[in-house]
Amino acid sequence: MSEKTEKKRTASEEAEEVKEILSAVSTEVPALIKSIIASVFSEEAGRNMGKAAAAFYKELKDGGMPDNVAVKMTEDYIGVFTSLGDILKGVGGKGKDWIPKEKREEFAEEIEKRIKEKIAEKRREEEEEE
Amino acid sequence: MGKGRSLLIVSVLSGIPAVVKLLGSLFLIWLTLDWKVRKARRAFEKELIKQGMSKQDAKRISAQYAALKDQAVNAFKRSIRVFS
Repeated sequence: MSEKTEKKRTASEEAEEVKEILSAVSTEVPALIKSIIASVFSEEAGRNMGKAAAAFYKELKDGGMPDNVAVKMTEDYIGVFTSLGDILKGVGGKGKDWIPKEKREEFAEEIEKRIKEKIAEKRREEEEEE
Repeated sequence: MGKGRSLLIVSVLSGIPAVVKLLGSLFLIWLTLDWKVRKARRAFEKELIKQGMSKQDAKRISAQYAALKDQAVNAFKRSIRVFS
């Protein structure tokens, strides 16, 4: 009987943890993505990048560079930022080899462990506040 | 055993709103991304035009900025495939 009660408690505890993990992930992941997008793809970020490119272009023109050459060099200058995308592609493109098969389970367990630790910490803080 | 299982099912079902919230947020981010990139491009082109660059050249250069968005989205999709 006590074994059944213990199994039930474990199952419900695990389900509760899954719920809390999903809740934390559903809040944190979109916020993280939004902040990454805001830092690169916002109007202000565009304006700042434009200012940097414009300053580069102006320096070239002031130095006597022909307009078409200055434009090409400015294009290459901005191309440096898009080459970051190629770097990301290289990392993601390794795809399945990026994390070796034998390490994947270990990796997943480590992530699960860290999430559980964070949840337990948050629970402790909430209990302390009460 | 039956009660334990139903408890588990109820708890898992209660996690569904979190999943729906996550998917909804990601969908909204995806919808608004193009609009944000367009605004960023316009601000970018404006700065270049202020320094005397032609509108055509400014548009050509800002196209690279938008290409970065496509690469970021593709990298994100690839990373999901890696973890799935």
